[in-house]
Amino acid sequence: MAKRVQDVRPPRKPDAEKWLRENVTEQKKRYAAIVREMDGIEKERQRWYAEFLHIVSTRGWNVNGDQRMVVPVKDLPKRPKGRSKVVF
Amino acid sequence: MARPHIEPYVELNDPFRKFDIAGFKGSHYKVLSLDTDTGACTLKVRFDGGYRRKPGLSYSDIEIFVLNGEIRVGKEVWREGHYAMIPAGYALEAISVAQGAEALVMFNDGEPNFEESAESHDLTLRDAFTSLNSYDDRPWAPGNLVTPSVASGCLIKLLRYEPLTEAFSFLYCMTPRFAQDNISYHDSAEESYHIWGTSWMMQFGDLPTGGYFWRPAYINHGSFRCKYGTIAFGRTDSKLHNYFHYNPWTNPKQNLLRAAAQVYRQRPLLYNWTVSDGHNHPHGPPDFQHANYFDNDPHVRDLHGHYHEAGIEHDHDHDHDGAPKARKAGGKAKRKR
Ligand SMILES: [Fe+2]
Repeated sequence: MAKRVQDVRPPRKPDAEKWLRENVTEQKKRYAAIVREMDGIEKERQRWYAEFLHIVSTRGWNVNGDQRMVVPVKDLPKRPKGRSKVVF
Repeated sequence: MARPHIEPYVELNDPFRKFDIAGFKGSHYKVLSLDTDTGACTLKVRFDGGYRRKPGLSYSDIEIFVLNGEIRVGKEVWREGHYAMIPAGYALEAISVAQGAEALVMFNDGEPNFEESAESHDLTLRDAFTSLNSYDDRPWAPGNLVTPSVASGCLIKLLRYEPLTEAFSFLYCMTPRFAQDNISYHDSAEESYHIWGTSWMMQFGDLPTGGYFWRPAYINHGSFRCKYGTIAFGRTDSKLHNYFHYNPWTNPKQNLLRAAAQVYRQRPLLYNWTVSDGHNHPHGPPDFQHANYFDNDPHVRDLHGHYHEAGIEHDHDHDHDGAPKARKAGGKAKRKR
């Protein structure tokens, strides 16, 4: 592959640098708000997980497309200790 | 740092900000996600009535998806559902917006930038230019383009496919009462904007109209439900493989190791070479057909968590514990020269 236009990009101009800095700060706030919101639905989420595992052990989980496989209750994953994390 | 995990983010109630960068004056934007290092970003842009711009180019690949209104680009009129991929250096014709329009605008390599020019840059990959109306010009196809596949009821329209990385951009829909009872993750980042409709994932709850996510690799999502139907625009940043499972509590590291185990089972020779001694794992292995590919490519650079020129000797201050290093979800890509 030949050299690309991206490789000869001129250095970032001051207005672009300022734009980037401001928006990185804003994004940090949005990220924190998302984490708070997701922590706030943890109880509901654990209920959703339990319902999901019930489906996995009765109707089965989607292995590929609409093909399902039932997992015996004894083989279901167990909830580990501590908070669950969904935003990384 | 690459783009962080932004999920879920519903932009509709957040205000637009004035766009004060050359080439964008007369428009407003919201950042949906932003690479804090390169400035690559996905924006929702509102072009106010009367917006005009002369022909010009950007040093970044750009993708545009028109949400509403009309944007005149040279002789073309881009309406609702229009998708365009404008390769870096491509001189796009003059733009004018008579009545106002909104679009997703994605800069794939750097922050928004524009240079007035009637001529494309010599290095431009002109053939990559794409301009089509996704609603009118592409058929819905079953979502089983990759295996293992999504459940039936999730359909896609392929808009762009990048042959080197297998990154792709697409429109997708979920039929009313769509359901898929598994947890999914991928080796690629995945991005989506809900044009209309609400769908549900067991980790994040409902994602309504105006809902967005940028999800780095190896992060669990699903099971999935959609009650009344959803149409959305989506992208990946590299090849999408569906790793499905049913353990709600795994983390991205565990998911990554499971993905590596799959490579080990399915392509053992490549796996062994990649992790063996002698520092021969890929951060730009020579590819005779794409000799400059590793130079400045974030995908290749991030494979190893840092950058150095292929074939050049360098000291080794990182460990090799037998597992391949991979892009950390939202992790730091240490640059070293
Ligand atoms: Fe996915």
